[in-house]
Amino acid sequence: MDFAISSILFYVFAAMALICACSVIFASNPVTSAMSMALCFAATAAILFGMGAQFLGIVQIIVYAGAILVLFLFVVMMLDIKTEEEDNDFGVVRNLVRMTPGVLVAGVLGAMICIAALKLPGARDWNNPLCTAWNARSELCIGKQQSTVTVTDNKDFGGALPALNPVAATNDTKASSIPDVKLLGKRLFTQYNIEFVILSFALLAGTVGAVALSRKIHKD
Amino acid sequence: MSLFDSIWNWCVDLLSNEIWFYLITTVVKLVLMFAVILAFVVLSVWIERRVAGWIQDRPGPNRAGIPLQLFQRFGSKEKQPLKEWLHFFGVPETCWIAKLCTWLRLDREIPTFGLMQPCLDGGKLFLKQELTPSYVRKIYFTIAPMLVLGPPMVAAAVIPFASSVTTDFGTINMVVANIGIGPLWIFAISGLSVYGLTLAGWSSNSKYPFLGGLRATAQLISYEVAMGLSIIPLLMMFSTLNMQDIVQYQADNGWTLLPLWGEGLSWQRWAMMVPLGLSFIIFVTCVFAEANRTPFDMAECETDLVGGYHSEYSSMKFASFFMGEYAAMVIGSALVVTLFLGGWSIGFGADAALHSVCSWLAVCCQFLMFLIKLVAFVVFFVWVRWTLPRFRWDQVMKLGWLVFLELAVANIFLTAAVLYFIK
Repeated sequence: MDFAISSILFYVFAAMALICACSVIFASNPVTSAMSMALCFAATAAILFGMGAQFLGIVQIIVYAGAILVLFLFVVMMLDIKTEEEDNDFGVVRNLVRMTPGVLVAGVLGAMICIAALKLPGARDWNNPLCTAWNARSELCIGKQQSTVTVTDNKDFGGALPALNPVAATNDTKASSIPDVKLLGKRLFTQYNIEFVILSFALLAGTVGAVALSRKIHKD
Repeated sequence: MSLFDSIWNWCVDLLSNEIWFYLITTVVKLVLMFAVILAFVVLSVWIERRVAGWIQDRPGPNRAGIPLQLFQRFGSKEKQPLKEWLHFFGVPETCWIAKLCTWLRLDREIPTFGLMQPCLDGGKLFLKQELTPSYVRKIYFTIAPMLVLGPPMVAAAVIPFASSVTTDFGTINMVVANIGIGPLWIFAISGLSVYGLTLAGWSSNSKYPFLGGLRATAQLISYEVAMGLSIIPLLMMFSTLNMQDIVQYQADNGWTLLPLWGEGLSWQRWAMMVPLGLSFIIFVTCVFAEANRTPFDMAECETDLVGGYHSEYSSMKFASFFMGEYAAMVIGSALVVTLFLGGWSIGFGADAALHSVCSWLAVCCQFLMFLIKLVAFVVFFVWVRWTLPRFRWDQVMKLGWLVFLELAVANIFLTAAVLYFIK
């Protein structure tokens, strides 16, 4: 039986991501939770690397593991939460009532994701877990052939900037690698441009709101 | 068939297999890169102390050599080998050659100009008592130094140290991982060392280390933003994120900051010098901040914070922080050299000329050139450390968020304007 090394690594990192995700919830120390979350992100990034989506993987590390989670850790340490005290004096019935909605929501969500994932083409090929991703990737590669045509006729933006390095454009067409940075950028700034701009504005509004809320107003 | 022939044939067979060729060359490159980084960590400690000595008008550690007594102990009967040697060559003991040799301490040791000093420091740190305070959080206290030393070593994987060589078995690209996201990989991985600093501060469970850890986190995250934005003008020029392609472009068209050959002399290229120079200044400053070096070493500023995040550490755990800082400095220098100063390229068209003679010769020369540039930039790093005083904490934050971030964003628009309007 033939195994691609990335398939084996997929199972390794997927298991790691699941274990870390569980430990985020079950760890009694909040710092351990945060660090498990970082490991979980790293494992997800490793899976993305295995699929050949290097840019997405590295963005996962830079944005989530490198910035957002550090801020989480920062806050958790500042709060200095003591390890959670064992106080289960609510009684069995009350505990059950408290737990039921959570379990229901989590179960429905998990089932939805599982069913959706299993219905994808090639999802039941256990020996080749990345099959679905590779199908999507080969579709992208077909798109690559089209996208190497000049983009100057695109009406959505003012035309490409003149490149100083024309060699770089020809390097993309090598069969060995997919230029995922370029593909992603092109999709984001042409096909999904409006959504991208709307999201950016939402984030900007959030930032402005945070600054406005945290500012102290001096009344003289 | 002789033994050598069969060994030779076996090697050829092994290398003819594509997978084995890839594995073997990768492992060799990996070991080479690792050795270079570790050697540079040791070397930069020595450079640091010698340059500090020169700047402060004192000799610095210049005495730690290999004492000849050591050989006497291992069986050499000579009491004074220098005298024997002078006698052997028939040189009188009072002439200037003998005096020069004595002045160079050749009668007592094999001179290394103090290069043995870092090794002795390492030995000392190894032999020191490992002291773990009773109030620390043990697991994170142990993990933290590893998280500081590890990431810079991994980040080095994408730095090209020479161009490629075509052999009978295939092409060897002189970079460990030739991936299409070079600079981003370095930012991401070396950004992870912030966990080490934070956890060290927190797990020490005492006041000053905690403040140091918080400062380190805030500073590293702030400067990462400006650092990432400052190289966008470069990427607009190179149109690629692959480090090997970036250096190849610089070898063909002039280094980013020295466009004197190839296609480098166009008006557009000269106009590009303004945004590129600006991004060089921003980027180098951010590298200083990311490496926690002196104008920005707020996290271990001894006047406010005793020792900062490593106050509670001793012995090799402390040494790991120390080495991690120097490794980050070496990686930062290598990144600056690769992006702005031409990486391995010798310049003035010499790369292509050497390649047409013999590509192995070219690769060796390029590797040497890379090392020379790296040493030069490490010296610059040290020079800055012993010249500029430390910033105040609020000044560091202001510089990062109010000056560099805005400058870097404006620089992107400036670059776009230059690329669009100046032909």
